[in-house]
Amino acid sequence: MLLIGTCMRMENSLHHPRSSASITLSVWKALFLREALSRFFSSRGAWFWLLIDPVFHVAYLMVVFTMMRVSNVGGIDIATWIMIGLLAFFMFRVTATQVTNSISANLALFAYRQVKPVDTALVRAALEGVLMVAVTLILLTGAALFGHSVVPSDPLAVLEAFFGLWLAGIGFGLIASVANGLIRELGKIIHLIMMPLYIISGVMFPISAVPEPYQSWLLLNPVAHGLEAARLGFVPNYHSVPDLSMGFLYGFALVSIFLGLALHRRFALRLISL
Amino acid sequence: MIVVENVHKRYMTDHGFGHWVLKGVSFTIPPKLNVGLIGANGAGKSTLLSIIGGVDQPNKGRVERLCRVSWPMGFGGGLQGTLTGRQNAKFVCRIHGFEADLQDRLRSIQNFAQIGAAFDQPVKTYSSGMRSRLQFALSLAFDFDVYISDEVTAAGDAAFRKKAAAAFKDLADHASLIMVSHDETTLKQFCSAGIWIKDGKAHWFDQIDDALKAYKEDQNS
Repeated sequence: MLLIGTCMRMENSLHHPRSSASITLSVWKALFLREALSRFFSSRGAWFWLLIDPVFHVAYLMVVFTMMRVSNVGGIDIATWIMIGLLAFFMFRVTATQVTNSISANLALFAYRQVKPVDTALVRAALEGVLMVAVTLILLTGAALFGHSVVPSDPLAVLEAFFGLWLAGIGFGLIASVANGLIRELGKIIHLIMMPLYIISGVMFPISAVPEPYQSWLLLNPVAHGLEAARLGFVPNYHSVPDLSMGFLYGFALVSIFLGLALHRRFALRLISL
Repeated sequence: MIVVENVHKRYMTDHGFGHWVLKGVSFTIPPKLNVGLIGANGAGKSTLLSIIGGVDQPNKGRVERLCRVSWPMGFGGGLQGTLTGRQNAKFVCRIHGFEADLQDRLRSIQNFAQIGAAFDQPVKTYSSGMRSRLQFALSLAFDFDVYISDEVTAAGDAAFRKKAAAAFKDLADHASLIMVSHDETTLKQFCSAGIWIKDGKAHWFDQIDDALKAYKEDQNS
């Protein structure tokens, strides 16, 4: 990844020639601080909305399910089921959308030849990963205060699921950012795809309750696998879908990241000059 | 020294490729030489500047920068609107690898820009004069061998313009400049050589006066 970001840099530093790697590192550091600042303070109370957004979603779904008098799904507490599913889903979606918009949000900074589009995308992905982990921990702590059991029985499996969703988000975002930059109409199509993703990923209903053949169709979506795996990691007796496959999620993530980086490598110049 | 070799450039438009803005531009700028770029609006001056600055890449041909070259300084570019002046300045210092003496550089940028409390306000709230003050101060904070300037001296109010011209003069003594300007006196004041861009070709003149003469004769004919 380092190579792709740096191989077009022929840079003589001001006092001593810097290596491509050290330029990239200082660009990443500067970008990370810049992105973190605007994420927390770009608008009034931006940091507050960062947290309140998932809280509101969880609360909203809780109210709906309570009204339907559903207290457990697939053998586990409904609150845990919703919260883990939503947080896992946000891990994917927030990363994907933030990375997708990374280029358009940083256009002014490409005036410096040290900054490449792929830098902004990767730095945003890292920042969103950190933020989502923090948000997840805060929400789980909050749920624990309300008396829900929030200690995962298999923490490694939960981490594996979240990490896979994060990688999938990066891959999706990398490809979408290039597509967005090259053909504006594709951005609208990507937006259309993202909208029903919330529903078909099994945030609001258990995919295991969907009859065949539709269940297999829904399981073509790698995000659904990540959500189910995260829930299973929390509660081992959860009745997840039988065809759950982490390999599918990770396969999608790696292929899309590779494709995304290749697209960035190929179209980096077109992205800046547009 | 900057070597520009057979540079071709055209842009993508909504209807496929546009016309060639630059068709085979070649020249070599030796060290310690100030060069003025002249040509009509839309002739490709700014395009050439950003290619020399490494921000844009030619479709064909290549540019070799055998020295420390600044980013293209000019209107608008390089400042992120949502960040404050200070945060922008920090960003530029960091990507150039100046982490250790960050505070010193920030102080000198702030002192030169003289935009007061606005230094800690988002750049999008700045007037265009304040923006160019900041941009100019930013570019002075680093010691480049070659400064690329797209009409920067034309910015700001009278007082700042005077200060900027003095700083620019000082700069021109120890570093070289590649500048675009439509102001003849500015060009004559700072540049010794000139490049006239016409129909996607570059014509080199050892004397800026000759370049200006050729440009004017062409316009009048």
